[in-house]
Amino acid sequence: MMNTIGNENYQVSDIMICAMARLIHNGENVFHGVSSHMPMLAVMLAKALHAPEAVYLNIPGGVDPKPKNLEKYTSAGAELFQQAAAIFPLAEVFDLSMRGRLDVAFLSGIQFDKTGNVNASVIGDYHKPKVRMPGGAGSAVLIPTAKRAIIWRTKHDKRTFVEKVDFVTTRGNIDRIVTPLCIFKYENGELLLDTIHPTSNLQEVIDNTCFEVKYRSIEFTPLPSKEELTILRRIDPKNYRNIEF
Amino acid sequence: MNKLMSLTQAVEIIQDNDTVGIGGNVLHRAPMGLVREIARQGKKGLHIVKTAGAMDVDLLCLAECVSSVDAGFISYETEYSLAGHYRKAVQNGVVKGNEHACYTVISALRAASAGIPFMPVKGLQISDLIEVNDYFTRIQDPFSGEPVTVVKAIVPDVVILHVQEADKRGNAKILGPIYDDVLLSRAAKKVIISAETIVPDSKFEFSQDKADIPHFLVNAVVHLPKGAAPCSCPSKYSIDRGKLDTFKALKSKEELLDYLDNFNTADYRRY
Repeated sequence: MMNTIGNENYQVSDIMICAMARLIHNGENVFHGVSSHMPMLAVMLAKALHAPEAVYLNIPGGVDPKPKNLEKYTSAGAELFQQAAAIFPLAEVFDLSMRGRLDVAFLSGIQFDKTGNVNASVIGDYHKPKVRMPGGAGSAVLIPTAKRAIIWRTKHDKRTFVEKVDFVTTRGNIDRIVTPLCIFKYENGELLLDTIHPTSNLQEVIDNTCFEVKYRSIEFTPLPSKEELTILRRIDPKNYRNIEF
Repeated sequence: MNKLMSLTQAVEIIQDNDTVGIGGNVLHRAPMGLVREIARQGKKGLHIVKTAGAMDVDLLCLAECVSSVDAGFISYETEYSLAGHYRKAVQNGVVKGNEHACYTVISALRAASAGIPFMPVKGLQISDLIEVNDYFTRIQDPFSGEPVTVVKAIVPDVVILHVQEADKRGNAKILGPIYDDVLLSRAAKKVIISAETIVPDSKFEFSQDKADIPHFLVNAVVHLPKGAAPCSCPSKYSIDRGKLDTFKALKSKEELLDYLDNFNTADYRRY
């Protein structure tokens, strides 16, 4: 899905990934897990631009890999060993977060509520679930211990942004939630609208969110720059950034 | 001691109702040949342990071998979507889905490898997982008096791993990502290894690059090229998309048994 603004064509995934990349600061220790092509590209984009000294950590354990070819089916394979100089496997990434030294963890979930609860486990009763979801992977220990948990979710509807989650897999240090419509930030125990993507509008956010959308002022997510788009297209020539849509 | 044996003999080590730890991560270096043989031998009531599983756990659920799954994540990744057979088995109440954070599986295995009954886990503080599962509980830190969540040790009766290189005594070398395989080998009572290549005993002895898993922890070695297929095996092969697609479309245990026949030649070839 292309959106033409000015002379440039933007995919919503481009806007989301650039926004996620800008949340990574130079020198930070950053981790993503399985099923995470969008964060993977955000980390690679940030390292190519404003955060060359960000430390890229992942499940296979290659530190700062420079994968030549990304795989469509995984974000946890041996490509994340390519050109990595050191090994720091998953168990140690968790330990790092527990001792307070993981700056950013990219995670997702199925339901989110206005008080920042995350559900990645079940819909319905836990022991006899209506829907058994994959599970929160590292979320239940990383969202509370990473300095900033950045959540992304490619669905923004009333089943995703709910008044109250069916099950609290975890809650904690959520920094932002990036969706196809907007970015929420977590402040004083509640989700606030941070910015709206230029491809959406306030009414669309309100119409697709169960809880009351609160905000201080209406701000828009900055569009990807020419440089960001050029690099993103180079590191992801096959457009894997769109596979969750 | 020569521990080389056939796939059939090796999997006969696994008993019904055993706790079985599985190596690899999602579609990478999963010990699929061993998993297939577990399904063919019709094992029952297995308690599966893995941080992040995909086709391996999905297949064992379809084969009706499983009673519970302790894992942080059971799903394929993005492109291949959900683990439908696992999901159905949990939703129908046939399989108990014991959801962990991946780290609490690691902590439970670390406790097992250290011979202690439980392990404190930082981070798991506000979560319904603590209340609904009996393998988590909150206790008081005896030193500070603060509350701390602990996870019960998981001691696998058997761990199954697929590696690139092993010698006939059981020394095993993993190329590329190790995931939780080394930890699993330390936590388990018994270890079964399948290997792409059987290397001479002298290989690790005369190299600075030693085996990751020492022979004395290992009970069985199976020479099984393509033993991770249709999952990937780093430095050897990528996923087999055709066989994955076929598996995902299977509807019943009977269809699965037919599907497994496609692998008989590869799985039972003797070298």
